[in-house]
Amino acid sequence: MSLDEQLARTQPSRGTMTLGLVLVFAALSLSFLMLAGLFARAFAETSPPRETAPGLVRPNDMGTGALLFPSPQPGYFVEAPRLATDVEIDVTGPIMRTRVTQRFQNPSKGWVEGTYVFPLPEDSAVDVMKMQIGERFIEGQIKPREEARQIYEDAKAEGKKTALLEQQRPNIFTNQVANIGPGETIVVQIEYQSSVHQSGGEFSFRFPMVVAPRYNPQPIVQTVDLGSTGYAVGDPVPDRDKIEAPVLDPKKNARINPVKLSVKLDAGFPIGTLASPFHDIDVKEDGNAGRLITLKADSVPADRDFELNWKAVAGKTPQAGLFRETIDGKTYLLGFVTPPTEAGANEEKPHREVIFVIDNSGSMSGTSIEQAKESLALAISRLGPDDKFNVIRFDDTMTVYFPSPVSATPDKREQAIAYVRGLTADGGTEMLPALQAALSAQGPVAKDALRQVVFLTDGAIGNEAQLFEEISGNRGDARVFTVGIGSAPNSHFMTKAAEIGRGTFTLIGSEDQIAARMGELFAKLENPAMTNISADFDEKSVRDISPNPMPDLYRGEPVVLTAVLDGTSPKGMVRISGDAGRQPWQIAMDVAKASEGKGIAKLWARRQIDDIEASAYTAGNPADVDKKIEEVAIAHHLVSRVTSLVAVDVTPSRPNGEPLGSAKVPLNLPAGWDFDKVLGEEGSGGNAKHAAAAPSPEAEMVADMMAAAPTARAASMIAQAAKPVALPQTATLADRHILIGLLLMAIAAMASIAFGIWRWQMQGLATANAGSRYEP
Amino acid sequence: MNREAPRERRAGFLARLSAGETVVLAIITMIALAGALLVGKGLYMKAKAELSQVLLQRSFAAELSGETGAKPWPWADFTTEAEITAPRLGETAVVLAGASGEALAFGPAHLSNTPQPGDSGTAVIAAHRDTHFRWLKDVKPGDLLVVTRKDGRRLAFRAGEGRVARWDESGIDADAAGHNLALATCWPFDATTRGPMRYIVTAELIDAEGRSTAETHDIRLLAEKNGS
Repeated sequence: MSLDEQLARTQPSRGTMTLGLVLVFAALSLSFLMLAGLFARAFAETSPPRETAPGLVRPNDMGTGALLFPSPQPGYFVEAPRLATDVEIDVTGPIMRTRVTQRFQNPSKGWVEGTYVFPLPEDSAVDVMKMQIGERFIEGQIKPREEARQIYEDAKAEGKKTALLEQQRPNIFTNQVANIGPGETIVVQIEYQSSVHQSGGEFSFRFPMVVAPRYNPQPIVQTVDLGSTGYAVGDPVPDRDKIEAPVLDPKKNARINPVKLSVKLDAGFPIGTLASPFHDIDVKEDGNAGRLITLKADSVPADRDFELNWKAVAGKTPQAGLFRETIDGKTYLLGFVTPPTEAGANEEKPHREVIFVIDNSGSMSGTSIEQAKESLALAISRLGPDDKFNVIRFDDTMTVYFPSPVSATPDKREQAIAYVRGLTADGGTEMLPALQAALSAQGPVAKDALRQVVFLTDGAIGNEAQLFEEISGNRGDARVFTVGIGSAPNSHFMTKAAEIGRGTFTLIGSEDQIAARMGELFAKLENPAMTNISADFDEKSVRDISPNPMPDLYRGEPVVLTAVLDGTSPKGMVRISGDAGRQPWQIAMDVAKASEGKGIAKLWARRQIDDIEASAYTAGNPADVDKKIEEVAIAHHLVSRVTSLVAVDVTPSRPNGEPLGSAKVPLNLPAGWDFDKVLGEEGSGGNAKHAAAAPSPEAEMVADMMAAAPTARAASMIAQAAKPVALPQTATLADRHILIGLLLMAIAAMASIAFGIWRWQMQGLATANAGSRYEP
Repeated sequence: MNREAPRERRAGFLARLSAGETVVLAIITMIALAGALLVGKGLYMKAKAELSQVLLQRSFAAELSGETGAKPWPWADFTTEAEITAPRLGETAVVLAGASGEALAFGPAHLSNTPQPGDSGTAVIAAHRDTHFRWLKDVKPGDLLVVTRKDGRRLAFRAGEGRVARWDESGIDADAAGHNLALATCWPFDATTRGPMRYIVTAELIDAEGRSTAETHDIRLLAEKNGS
């Protein structure tokens, strides 16, 4: 007897039918409710409210110079009220010197240790730091890093005013300021040297001025609603007005943050156009090649950085320039050459042979491998039919996808992309065999073709030196481009690898950067303007030519080289040569005719330090490298990885008979100090006292948010909680998988029961219908 | 004939289903399969975490006996760094170097940008809340935590209060004064989704007599900072 027959025989009554329907409905709605509950909970957990008070900032968020005080919330800081800012920029030819003077205030009633942050351009050399804290003047002296820190810690413990400017990374400096007294004003002045950016005949620079929005404190107004009974019901959120403090628009509140900016521009050639794209400026002529630029009186720092662009009069765009500075019997040279844009432009693009190397080791698992795959697929799809390519993947094993580089025909590209998309991250990292395969096992480079090796990895490796040797020994004519993947790739390794490989390093930190960053890389890969560049000097005493080796140039970029020569009046020529496409190209300049420029020695020193760092892998002993850097940095008064500026008290002693604490700020400025610009802003020093006596509402608000300590000693303890460690993700989805899995199985079980009941009833109905049809 | 009957019946049952009913049945089967797969995946992750510790123990023993860079298994992308024990809870786990997502699947990991446990500063060890650090919520203030480093040193730490913080605002300073250890895992403990909150237990090094080394730290603070 079959099941169906059995079912057919059982005649369900109306009652059981209704009961079945109700059961089915209940089961289904119950399972949906459970699912809905699960997702609601998941949603609630992924976006918990951030319990951060408005106005708290982190050092990395700062878009302009700011003095930060620790807040009670670890890792967060409060921005000190900025009373005035003065910026002076001096441009001489391709070099610029910037002096930033800013005045801040400690609005609290306690002692604090503050951190001054200022975003700097990548190649800048910081050499001067002067400060005024309360009534004391201090000036930074260059010292070896350890020594400087010790001086700072000692002075801090003794309750003295002191400051320490350290380099954290090449473009990140921190300036700690200890023992800022209650209500005191702080004036920070830093000076740095950098080079003017050149691209396509246009000269430009940028000065960071982005001001974070300020929160405007409002008095707490508690509104009560007198109901009909006469009793007032309080607002359930008593601090509502405080929480929803309106943002103060910096554009409309210039007085809170006054900025003066002036630029003395000596371009070295007749200026054609001069423009500041984001700010209104006043321009005064100062000779043919000189200009004085100031911000218009009512122009305020908005949410944009200050940018100045200038171009030469048509036809006078300099193709080359040579500047020199003589210090201590040595001549420092700075030369720049823009290769003719016409060269190679009418020729067809050189053919390329691109070897992609992708790291799919275990450390890449998660988002890193997805980003790497995405980037690589994009790169392969950009190849032209004349190009050749190959793909190598490695973990502790390695696969070379094509036996030798193949032409990038559409189906080969599709094939390779499909292969890349299928990769998973697992296993160890053995990079050397893959590198060897990419550099030396891909057959000879075709005539007139460019061999490019593109390396996608997080660089989690231990044998860096071995890899560097492999690259410098076997790269031949190949260019090595590294692409750093993930939030914390080993950029040190990848920057160096690209430098040795005469390529570039591209950092991809997150999914949304892939398109833009890879786009920049493609532009370089596809349009090399000049290759095999070298510089020759007639003078034999020339040393330390930087960059070495010279990188390839891309359209519109200049070569900027620095070198040092013995003697104060070197002679002879410097010749810079290269290949523009297939055409050799050369330019010669007379060293004796170089024009004078200031700050070249510092730029040379900064580059020298970079070069010493770059050669660290061959030096063997890291202590020797540190020693060399220290020598250069101390000789040129520069902040570097191993040297810091530590402030030494240079205040003239307090005049006798003057009671402590009643002295007006400033007493006497030390000779050569120039703080009057910011001090003069709001009526000199008396203002500081006034501010301390009757703080503005804004200052009061800041003071409320600060973790101020009653003594100088306690201030150093609070400052301990400054740099929090980021913690990794420590939740697996295992429980979630099991839970959802069980839920799905339960749903399936319920659904099949429901299905069974439903079928059983349908059967019953059919039989009942059939019965009723035949019975009468 | 007899053997043929059940197959016929089965075929008959499927054949008698309308197209719609077949689709419904297929969907139900697929949901059940997906559920089984997910359960399997979750259990596999748990099993991997538990079983790998056995191999890690062996590798750490080799590391203790002087072998350097011993890998737990040839294709592993990490090395063992230390062993952490909570004696009161009877829990032990081998700590790995570098907190990549992969290492965390196999054991607690020591964050490489923090000092070694026992060195000056705050060492941070993180692990998953549902596997290796399931016991972290049971650690009470005053509990002993014993760390065996790969150089053979055994160090005892005394746990303090636990607290909850966002991952990027942990408040842990790697260069803080004293010799501290911070254990971190995800919070809330019984959640099934990934979130930004972490539970942190800090502990400080105690010497052989069980005294906190930090009692003398106020005096030594300066000397230490200068010395390091």
